[in-house]
Amino acid sequence: MGVVLQMPVVLAALLGGALLTLLLERTLLQRTQTEPGPAAAVDYRHAVDPPNADRWLYPAGPVLALLGVALATVVIPFGPNLIGEDLGIGVFYFIVVVDFVVLGIALGGWGANTPDAVEACYRIVAQLVAYVIPLGLALVGAIMMAESLSTVAIVEAQTGLWYIVLQPIGFVLYLITGLMQAYRAPFLEPFAASIQQGVLHTSGGWQAMAWRLALSGVLFVVAAMGAVLFLGGWQGPLLPGPVWMLLKTYGLMALMLWLGTRVRLRSTAQMLALSWKVLIPVGLVNVLIVGMLILLGVGTA
Amino acid sequence: MIIPLTAYLIVGAVLFAIGIYAVLAQRSAVMILMGIEVLLNAIGLNLIAFWRFVRPDDYSAQIFTILIVTIGAVEMAVGLAIMLLLYRNRQTVQVDAYEELHG
Amino acid sequence: MILGPVAQIVAFSLCALIAIAGALGMATTMSMFRSGIFLMASFIGVAGLFILLSADLLGLLQVMMYIGGMLVMILFMVLFSHDPGGAMMAGMQLPIIEKFFSLGLLPREQKQDEHDQNEQSGHGGNGHQPMEQNGQDDHAGHADHGDQDAEQNGHDEHAGQNGHGGHEDHEHMDMSMTTPIKKPAAVLAVLVGVILVGLLLLRPAWPIVAATPNPNSAEMVGHLLMGKYMLAFEGAGLLILIGIFGAVFLARAGHFPDERGREARVAVDAQPTAPEAPALQPVADADPPDAAELVGVTEIQTRRNLEKDGRGEQ
Repeated sequence: MGVVLQMPVVLAALLGGALLTLLLERTLLQRTQTEPGPAAAVDYRHAVDPPNADRWLYPAGPVLALLGVALATVVIPFGPNLIGEDLGIGVFYFIVVVDFVVLGIALGGWGANTPDAVEACYRIVAQLVAYVIPLGLALVGAIMMAESLSTVAIVEAQTGLWYIVLQPIGFVLYLITGLMQAYRAPFLEPFAASIQQGVLHTSGGWQAMAWRLALSGVLFVVAAMGAVLFLGGWQGPLLPGPVWMLLKTYGLMALMLWLGTRVRLRSTAQMLALSWKVLIPVGLVNVLIVGMLILLGVGTA
Repeated sequence: MIIPLTAYLIVGAVLFAIGIYAVLAQRSAVMILMGIEVLLNAIGLNLIAFWRFVRPDDYSAQIFTILIVTIGAVEMAVGLAIMLLLYRNRQTVQVDAYEELHG
Repeated sequence: MILGPVAQIVAFSLCALIAIAGALGMATTMSMFRSGIFLMASFIGVAGLFILLSADLLGLLQVMMYIGGMLVMILFMVLFSHDPGGAMMAGMQLPIIEKFFSLGLLPREQKQDEHDQNEQSGHGGNGHQPMEQNGQDDHAGHADHGDQDAEQNGHDEHAGQNGHGGHEDHEHMDMSMTTPIKKPAAVLAVLVGVILVGLLLLRPAWPIVAATPNPNSAEMVGHLLMGKYMLAFEGAGLLILIGIFGAVFLARAGHFPDERGREARVAVDAQPTAPEAPALQPVADADPPDAAELVGVTEIQTRRNLEKDGRGEQ
């Protein structure tokens, strides 16, 4: 059973990635002076004990969120042969396990049982409805061209040309839905300052630490998956694979965060409208264009 | 395959029984929908168990299960819409509040 | 996925336990939100069994469908019926299973006090402000003011079947989520379970094929869906489309004239008490609720404003 051996490595990758993410995010926030959202300061020392909490669901929230992020890290290739487990249905698996973060936030919010946290629970569910379909459509383009759901196969299919060149629409779509999926500005409604950062406000001690790790980790895995799908993963000249992968991941992350601070914050209702009226049609057009490219023989081996 | 087929089928049977209880005993229409989902799930488990042990070469069982999941989702969506309508009408979705609906 | 024999047994027991305990919790817990979460746990357990049976694509599909689907369903459920029972019911004399699955619902201290207060404050607070039902009396009281009309409208129906006058029959739990035929239903369910399991054990074994399926199940399923079962696939797509149309059409606002209760709530909405942060555009900015999701969002907005009012008063 290799899984037992790989687990510490994957966890270490997640931990390192999340810490670097937090560093990058904090730096960027200091420069732009925007709402911190999920990167807001939390109290690690004092455990918060909401009096009316549902004492099963409240601690389950951060645990589930962390579990989702850790499971998602498993399929991200950081270099040739440097992957937790190359699943045959890797990208699909990734979409599924990142949903656990939403589930965790919903549970933690409802379980804490304060008005702000419950509000965060409602908002996160609405956000899930908004992002999940356009995100899938953004990924479908890359999957179609690579003719595989395996993340390693997708990276290897981009040896000649990165998919960002062939599928610019899909890349832009992934930037937007990735921000939604990572709850960063301008889509940080579940962690808005007006509800005191939702679940973050009602957790302390180990729970705050778990939230911090999960919420930084989700941005990390989203950016890493973007690098895998559209920027050719670990491939690049001169430098070794893992360095390229990390460079691309954090470059993409910085781009996403910076673009996010450039626009006005969106409410959940606006997010839903944006998703169903703009992003889904654009995603369908993207799939159509990619299909035509494949028929013309572009991008396929 | 060290786990026998019967073990999976027993899990399916127990799920089915719990689903029957939920459908019969729950009062809210949403909970009844949940019970139906458990029933569908038990059926799906049986299908997949039989597929794996009896006909592993024929993937039709998986297609059938996918269709079951799809129909479950549609049923949930339409059921919730009907409930929204009922709720607007009468401010409750408890099924015994709609007694006049019987024949 | 290839597992050793011990790992297989452990994984099977774990998944079966999650599946069955989740379903049992769904049917018996005293909080509706929890029962949705338990149902999700049950689905995840069954998905684990699917993966053990080497139908990994199906297992993941199941998890994805039901995390999204169930969360939205729970949201609707809470909007409709506001977590009936909840902490209040959990403090009562319950059968052992229901007691177990409702553990940890009660507020930490002042159990008895809160319980009594909730009973006294009427179900206005309980019904429409599930979060505040466990204390924060001013909130509950406020909710009563805001929702008075709604309460008066919906009240007559509620009072009858909900048995909110049910101080006397706590042990029958007639005020919560189950119908009076709970006992016969339980007997019937146990009977069905026993008969099914008995038949399974008595029946001669099925002919079992030793072959292992193709590990790349996604490809096999995809080829079948696009080939042999094309018609069924398209039919399912059509069904989903019709389902979306039906749901949107049924849930469209304006089918029924808004009753007074809703107007009262909208009026509560209209008084801005706390300055809105720039991030929060009022929902009027958005488009009219032409889809089910947007209706949900409107409701959320209503809730939030109610809660804001509550905070403003504190």
